[in-house]
Amino acid sequence: MATRKLTRSEQLQQTILYPLDWLEERSGIVGGVRYFLFRKVPGDINWFQTLGAATLTAFLVQATTGVILAMYYKPDPNSAYSSIQHITNDIWAGWLVRGMHRWGASVFIILMFLHMGRVFMFGAYKYPRELNWIIGVLLLASGLAEGFTGYLLPWDQTAYWATVVGININGTAPFLGPFLAQFLQGGTYINADTLPRFYSIHMLLLPGAIFALIGLHLYLVVHLGVTSPPWSKDAAGTGPSANGAGRKSRRGLLRYGTRRNGR
Amino acid sequence: MASDRLVERRRVFKQYKEDVKERGKPFYPFAMWHDTVMSLVVVSVIIGLAIVWKFSTPGDHIGTDPGWLGKLYDAPADPGTINFVPRPDWYFYFLFYLLRIFKWPESVVLGTIGLPTVFLVLLIAMPFIDLRAERRIGRRPVAVIAAIMVVLSMGILTYKGATAKEALGTELLAHVPKWAAKEGFSQNKQAVAGAKLFAQAGCLNCHTYNGDGGHNLGAPELTAEGSKNKGIAFQIAHLKCPACVNPGSPMPSFAGLGDARLKTLAAFLEASKGGK
Repeated sequence: MATRKLTRSEQLQQTILYPLDWLEERSGIVGGVRYFLFRKVPGDINWFQTLGAATLTAFLVQATTGVILAMYYKPDPNSAYSSIQHITNDIWAGWLVRGMHRWGASVFIILMFLHMGRVFMFGAYKYPRELNWIIGVLLLASGLAEGFTGYLLPWDQTAYWATVVGININGTAPFLGPFLAQFLQGGTYINADTLPRFYSIHMLLLPGAIFALIGLHLYLVVHLGVTSPPWSKDAAGTGPSANGAGRKSRRGLLRYGTRRNGR
Repeated sequence: MASDRLVERRRVFKQYKEDVKERGKPFYPFAMWHDTVMSLVVVSVIIGLAIVWKFSTPGDHIGTDPGWLGKLYDAPADPGTINFVPRPDWYFYFLFYLLRIFKWPESVVLGTIGLPTVFLVLLIAMPFIDLRAERRIGRRPVAVIAAIMVVLSMGILTYKGATAKEALGTELLAHVPKWAAKEGFSQNKQAVAGAKLFAQAGCLNCHTYNGDGGHNLGAPELTAEGSKNKGIAFQIAHLKCPACVNPGSPMPSFAGLGDARLKTLAAFLEASKGGK
């Protein structure tokens, strides 16, 4: 090796691999990514199981557009409304970024529910995936809380009055209610402190929690593995394929089994 | 029995891991390709909605006229407004409508906090309630029926919330002479002015009065409010800070209307003795 002159392609390969090796030696991250990408998943998974990735994408759209909006939005009762008008009407593509954030929220929430429905129908919350279901429910609750806190930010009539009533509803809860309402408002009533408070919860507290929960959620998905569709003829977990035909018919992800002799 | 189940489900999971190892496919490129396609669809839909929102807005595509997907923004927030409609984003409509079902003040907390909390707890506890290993839909009748019922009731509540009619201030204003005649305060100028304000200020979005308005958040019926003889001072104090006088009240403060207007509103409430 040392005496032989390296060929061109070998040289190229080394140049590419060197930084990766450097990184791997110091962090182990390359092995991690490799494991993530090349880990085995059941051969019979289908399109319904892309809903989780779709939900993640919707969240990343929210995070990205949210960062851009935060550069222009002013969380102060006197200028919030005009900053929203400015974003929507004056800034280049501001309407697009705000529109994506506003409608991305609805898409995110719909996808969370659909993803949850998929997991329910596949029975994928059962042993040993109980913990991941609970994390999912917490993500759903955080997502809805994002919707509630984000709704006030345009500081228009709809936003203001819906939030007044929303806070009052929180206030009716036994024991914790009054404290929760006081915390949300920053006082006994909606006042000048309420808007920055909602803004901080909306763009720091909740997204931080959601990022952490998504990290755990994905870790558990990789650690435990993805379930086969319950109706699959040769679902993983049923042992070596009973009939050789089942194996031969495995073609890509989009194979919907029709026979129900799964187990 | 329980330990048998434990042994069995551990065996099945071990088998699952072996099966995936033996005959599974690598995540990249198969599953990742599908995830990527799906993600692109999601982003396209979001961009599409943003475009429709903007360009279906009439005129110069700015301003507060609603397009196909609603207004770009409403009029600026005004705490002293005399006509407000509390309406949440669509995915809270089910909750919004649930509150209309609980008409009595004592039970409203069931709708606002009780049912949603029970639902959330059940959701979290689900993997511990449904302990069977069976995953096939056809063999989980209870789970399927429960799921269908939840989806149906959420769907119906969302639809009802979306189509629920708001009490319109302009329409209600026309009812003021009828109210005055029935309650017998036509000669009381302050009370009539208060009645007009009552019609316009959105009170009837939650309260009912002589057959008008909608039950919301357990707001009480006010047709005979004056017969309780609570007095003008009490009414004003209550309008300014409902929760101070009546702890736990979800009613918003109407201090923004100003003292002069609140006085007429109080006069109107005190003059409403329930009619003949």
